[in-house]
Amino acid sequence: MKKGDRARKLAIFWLVGLLLVALGADFLANDRPLIASVNGETRFPVLHQYGRVLGWAEAYRPVVRNWYRTETDWAVWPPVPYSAGASDLKNSGYRSPFAAQNTGPRARHYLGTDQLGRDVLAGLIAGTRVAVFVGFGALIISLLLGVPLGGIAGYFGNDRLRAPRYHWWGWGLGGLFGVLYAFLCLFPFFQAESIFFCMLLTVVSCCCGALLLRGLLWCIPPMHQPVRLPADSIFLQGVELFVNIPGLVLLIALIAIIDRPSLFIVVVVIGVLRWPSIGRFLRAELLRIRSLPYIEAARIGGIGRWRVLFGHALPNAFGPLIVVCSFGVGGAILLEAFLSFLGIGIPADQVTWGSLLRQSRAYPAAWWMALFPGILLTLTVLAANLMGERK
Amino acid sequence: MFLLSLVCFGLRQITPGDPAERLLPPAETQRAATEPAAYDRSYRRAAVTLGLDQPTFYFSLRNAALPDTLRRIARPQERKMLRALTLHSGNWPAVQEYYRELRKLAYSASSGDGPTTESRPALLRLLLQDEVPRIGKALKGLAGDPATSSLQNAFANLQKNPRRYALLLPAFAWNGPKNQYHQWLLRLFRGDLGFSLEDRRPVAQKIWKAARWTALINGFALLLVYLIAIPQGLYAAGYRGSWFDRISTVALFFLFGIPSFWLGMLMANYLTTPAFGFDLFPSMGVGKVPEGASFFTLLKVRIGHLFLPVICMAYPAWAYVSRHLRGAAVTELDRAYVKTARLKGLSRSAILWGQVLRNASFPIITLLAGVFPALLAGSILIERIFDIPGMGQLLFRAASGGDWPVVIPLILFNGLLTAFGLLLADLGYALADPRVRLGGTKSSLK
Repeated sequence: MKKGDRARKLAIFWLVGLLLVALGADFLANDRPLIASVNGETRFPVLHQYGRVLGWAEAYRPVVRNWYRTETDWAVWPPVPYSAGASDLKNSGYRSPFAAQNTGPRARHYLGTDQLGRDVLAGLIAGTRVAVFVGFGALIISLLLGVPLGGIAGYFGNDRLRAPRYHWWGWGLGGLFGVLYAFLCLFPFFQAESIFFCMLLTVVSCCCGALLLRGLLWCIPPMHQPVRLPADSIFLQGVELFVNIPGLVLLIALIAIIDRPSLFIVVVVIGVLRWPSIGRFLRAELLRIRSLPYIEAARIGGIGRWRVLFGHALPNAFGPLIVVCSFGVGGAILLEAFLSFLGIGIPADQVTWGSLLRQSRAYPAAWWMALFPGILLTLTVLAANLMGERK
Repeated sequence: MFLLSLVCFGLRQITPGDPAERLLPPAETQRAATEPAAYDRSYRRAAVTLGLDQPTFYFSLRNAALPDTLRRIARPQERKMLRALTLHSGNWPAVQEYYRELRKLAYSASSGDGPTTESRPALLRLLLQDEVPRIGKALKGLAGDPATSSLQNAFANLQKNPRRYALLLPAFAWNGPKNQYHQWLLRLFRGDLGFSLEDRRPVAQKIWKAARWTALINGFALLLVYLIAIPQGLYAAGYRGSWFDRISTVALFFLFGIPSFWLGMLMANYLTTPAFGFDLFPSMGVGKVPEGASFFTLLKVRIGHLFLPVICMAYPAWAYVSRHLRGAAVTELDRAYVKTARLKGLSRSAILWGQVLRNASFPIITLLAGVFPALLAGSILIERIFDIPGMGQLLFRAASGGDWPVVIPLILFNGLLTAFGLLLADLGYALADPRVRLGGTKSSLK
């Protein structure tokens, strides 16, 4: 299995490399220099841009609109001195990487340009950032849903969660009523506008409703009978439901309905659609872990069951979870490429691997635009598959 | 099933755009500015034909301050305005009074004792304005017009007498079967899917036309997959460790990782265009067959056009089936019954085909189940790339063009196919392995 280990190492290397490229995308490809000296003043234009966006820094005076034309004493440019989506009309009309390019003293367009002279390599770097953002963003959302749900289902199973009947009915129905009440009555009454306040109201109302109903039901004697919550069955039913949803179809319909395309919505939808794989895996893992001796020891030692679950059982499932996660990241990146290839859901000015591929269809002779994004995508998916391969 | 129909109905409700307005001819819409009263009447008629004046669902939960009859206000924008005003003040009678005055002024005939022509546009705007401070400002601007005095009074009354505590009560109403969801479901069962907004053709007809192409391509792809993948997977397992096994394992792993839409695009770019001199296949679409052409011409044209799409559809599934079949068969080959069969003197291929295949056939069945939903989802990209007028193309066009009456049935149809596929897979599992019992324990059927 030595060969497999080496391949796995390569896959990790590739994924970490992608992450680093995504993090440093602005320092790798930008139409501003990293450091420049203008009239004896040393500027850090790329870093400064971050400050501008965050509102921490004022614009440099005099304002530089085009760094290419600015006289500098000296300047350190990024390896790719072009921004994704910025056109370079001198090199427009699909310049091949090997063709003559009119870039003057600046670096060549290493991987060619598109119709408007936009640099393909810069586009790839920007696309890497989008891919990583979608991949990891969707992963985080699936983790947020899958870890608690799968953990509870696996650890407690069908028989370990026991409480009196009024408890379950109270929290289930009362919570639901509370949330409904918050939406129907409390929002207009308080004229709640900010999302944070709305969420606070919802949570408070949910808890109040739950406790109220729980208290009411407590007065009825038959409700005192302890019952088991079939957490595992409920979980499996939920997973079944989500697996049955035709993902791509629903995604296209949903994103077409939401009229303002945004990456966040894509991330949320992909994340929500893909949580069952994480939840299922965690459930299986915890079913195994919960019968291990150290969990027994912790339980006998009198540690609360929730603390055992979150403090002792779950952390031990995280190691193998990474494998499943990388698989999920690959899938999410592929879905994002699907969508941007179709031109749905991703803002039109965002350069992604999929959008580069779509552009290349307009002019088949530009092989560099079809080949490089596809290779990146393929390698990423392969790396993710390799990681997800069961030993 | 019920949940699926609910989801589709919900999607139908939140689709942007106003169906009643779409039903009206454009000339009618232009009258909104000049003859608001006539436009309002025709709009109301359109809304009633679509059943939009009925309640949405069997029951409704609402704020007690809102009246039960709000849905009878035909135009959604006005409804929104009234809703916002009521939720602001809680005093429905006052809001109603304000609305009545406003309507009387805005929709009144342009001659006579109505408002002056200058204030008319402002009044029409007020019908849509739902922010209280802005209403106040606009009304101040209209104060010079004597006709608006009763409107001013109504608004002042509305502002002076808020009843905000009324907002704290919820209300529940039972609507009975006379609601939009019920009607929609009934129409669905009758097979009436409505009309496309794009070209006014029946949706069912459009879907049926597209489904034939998709089914054709997927059918061929599936046939190809099973013809190649099953022998290959079995022999790779049977001759484990041989060069054939090693090569096919590595090749399939790579093939599985290559996104099919990329490969499809490369093929479409470079094998159907003269860009690099590989103009091997006819380009996009399904080809035109001349009237009265012989069967063989038809076959030739179709095969030329469908060859590449079928390959692109087939190879990911091929890699999937072959890999999993090999994995399952390898496990099976280590079992005792295989050794028994060998000792009995059965040949290797007899063991593989006769005994192992049946026990290792789970991935084949799983794929078969997945094929039905994939009829739509998997082929969106391939159909886009090769420009085939199938279901995927239809869905894409409809979704990006806002043709909701087509999108919703497609989703519903897809959900039905998914459920059907799962049912089929469960039956298949039971057929392949009698130990799988349906209905004995809690089955996964839904």
